[in-house]
Amino acid sequence: MKRVLTLFLFLLLALPCASPAASLDFGMAPGVITISTFYNGTNVTVSGAVPDGAQVVVRFSGVPEKVAMKQKGKAFGLLWMNMNTLHFSGVPKVFLVESSAPLKDLGVAGPSIGLTGLMDKIGIEPDTADRSMLLPELVKLKKSEGLYREGNSAVTLGDKSGELRQFTAKMAIPSRLSPGSYALEVFAVKDGVILAQASQPLDAKMTGIPALMADLAFNHAVWYGILASVIAIMAGLGIGLVFQSKGAH
Amino acid sequence: MSIPMELYLPIAGNSINIVAVFGLGGVVGLLSGIFGVGGGFLMTPLLIMMGIPPTVAAASDSNQIVGASTSGTLAHLRLGNVDVKMGILLLVGGVVGGTAGVEIIKLLRAMGNADFLINVTYVLMLGLVGGYMFVESLQAMRKAKAPAKQEPERHVKSSAFGRLVGLLPWQMDFVRSGVRMSPLLPLVLGVLVGILSAIMGVGGGFIMVPVMVYLLRMPMHVVVGTSLFQILFTCINVTVMQASSNHTVDFVLALILLVGSSLGAQIGAILGRKLGGEQLKILLASLVLVVMFKILYELLATPNVLLAYIGGH
Repeated sequence: MKRVLTLFLFLLLALPCASPAASLDFGMAPGVITISTFYNGTNVTVSGAVPDGAQVVVRFSGVPEKVAMKQKGKAFGLLWMNMNTLHFSGVPKVFLVESSAPLKDLGVAGPSIGLTGLMDKIGIEPDTADRSMLLPELVKLKKSEGLYREGNSAVTLGDKSGELRQFTAKMAIPSRLSPGSYALEVFAVKDGVILAQASQPLDAKMTGIPALMADLAFNHAVWYGILASVIAIMAGLGIGLVFQSKGAH
Repeated sequence: MSIPMELYLPIAGNSINIVAVFGLGGVVGLLSGIFGVGGGFLMTPLLIMMGIPPTVAAASDSNQIVGASTSGTLAHLRLGNVDVKMGILLLVGGVVGGTAGVEIIKLLRAMGNADFLINVTYVLMLGLVGGYMFVESLQAMRKAKAPAKQEPERHVKSSAFGRLVGLLPWQMDFVRSGVRMSPLLPLVLGVLVGILSAIMGVGGGFIMVPVMVYLLRMPMHVVVGTSLFQILFTCINVTVMQASSNHTVDFVLALILLVGSSLGAQIGAILGRKLGGEQLKILLASLVLVVMFKILYELLATPNVLLAYIGGH
C-alpha cells in the first residue's frame, strides 16, 4: 500500500520521468492539451515499455460526474416525448480506449478496462431504472458525439528489449473537448490479468482568444451579452452601408 | 502552408468548419431577407447537426439575428417598407407577452413535460398558419388569373372581427401600412405572439408575419420590413438575457453566421421586392409546412437514442 502511494506521489511530482520502481513506464507528448483558436482535436503520442507478451491498453478519460437526462418514451402509444428524469452518476465527459488487441480477446481484464467496465460502475437513480437498456443508450449517445470510443488500431507494439517490449500509441483527442483535468492511463494485460498499470494527469487548457472569450462570457456575462449585441448591430450596419453605396449607383 | 479551416468555439466547446458555417448563414439570411422571418426555426436545428449543443445553438442564433435583422431592417427602411409606429406597438406587446411566456414555460417545466408541449404547439401553429396561408394565396393567385377582378372583396371581409376592431377606441392612421385602427389591436396581438414565441423558443417572425398580413391587413412588403424591425429588438433582449443567465451565447459562432446571413439578407430583400406578394406568401407557407412535417416526423418516428440531455430547448 505504502509503495503504491509513494509511486503515485512520485508520478505526480516527476511527471515525464520514468519511474524505476514501476514495471510500466510511459511518456506522452504533449504533456498538456492546449486549446487555441484553431484547435480541432489533437493527437497525444504515448510511448513506453510493457512486460513482454502483454497487450497494451491506453485509456484517456475525464473525471466521473453526475449527469441528469430525460428518457424518451411513447405517449398515448403514438408520440415520442421526453418522459422521466434519470440521474446518472460516475459518467466521465470523455472515455477513449485504444488497445493493441480487441478488448474482448484479452480475457476478463480486457472488457473491465473498457466501456463494459465503465457501464458497471455507472449508477442510475431511480433504482428501478432499466440498466440493461439505458446504459447502452448512454454509451451510444456519447459515441455519437465522439466522446466515447473503443478502438484497437492506434496502439503498435515494437521491439523486444530484454524482458520488456516497446509500444507507441497515437490517442486521437476529439475536438469537442472542454478544458479541465483528464487522466491518461496505460495497462499491461496478459492472460486475462492486469500485470501493471500507470496513470498520468493530462490537462486541457484554453489559451489565446478562446481563453479570453470564455473568461469574458463566464465572469462578465452581462457585458459580454451587451458587447455581443453591439458588435452584431455594428456588423449588420456596416454590411448594410456597403450595400447602400453599391445601390446608389 | 494551408489556411486553417477549423475554428474552436470556446463557449460551444467544439470546433467548426468556417466555410460551412458561413454558407449556412448565407442561406438562412437569404430566406430572412425575403420573408422577414428570423430564420431561427431553420438555423438552430442545422447548427445542432453540426455538433453545437442545442442551448448554445439557439442562443448564438439570436445573437446572429441581431446583426442580420439590423442589416435587413436598414435595407427595408431604405425601400420605405418599415412601419415604425406599428413596429413599436407590436414590440411593446411582444416584450410583455414574452415575459409572460417565460413564466408559463417555467410553470410547465415544473409540472413535467414542457418539451412535448412545445413540439405539439409547433406542429399545431405551423400547420394552422402554413395551411391557411397556402390555401389563401393559392385562391388569390387563381382569382388574379381570372380576367374580371371582383372589387367588393373588402366588404366581404368586414366580419365580426372587423366590426369589433372598428369599435375599439383611439382609432389612428398608420400611414406606411395604409390602415386605420386602434393601437390596442397591435398591442394585444403583440402580447399573444410574444407568449407563443417564448413558449416555442423562437423570434416569432413566422407567427408575426401572418398576424400582420391577415389580422392587421398590412401590405406584404411593409409586413416584412416591420417584422424585421421588431425581431431586431426582441433578439437583442434574448441575447443579453441568455448571455447573462445561461452563458450560452457563442459570439465567434454568431459573428461568422452573421457575416454570411447579412449578405444573404441584403440579396433577399432585393429578391423579395421582385417577387409578387402572393408568391412570397405561398413560398413562406411551403417553408412553414416543411418545418411542421419535420417536427411531426420527429414526434412519430422512433428516435435514434432514447436519452436526451436536459436543457435541450
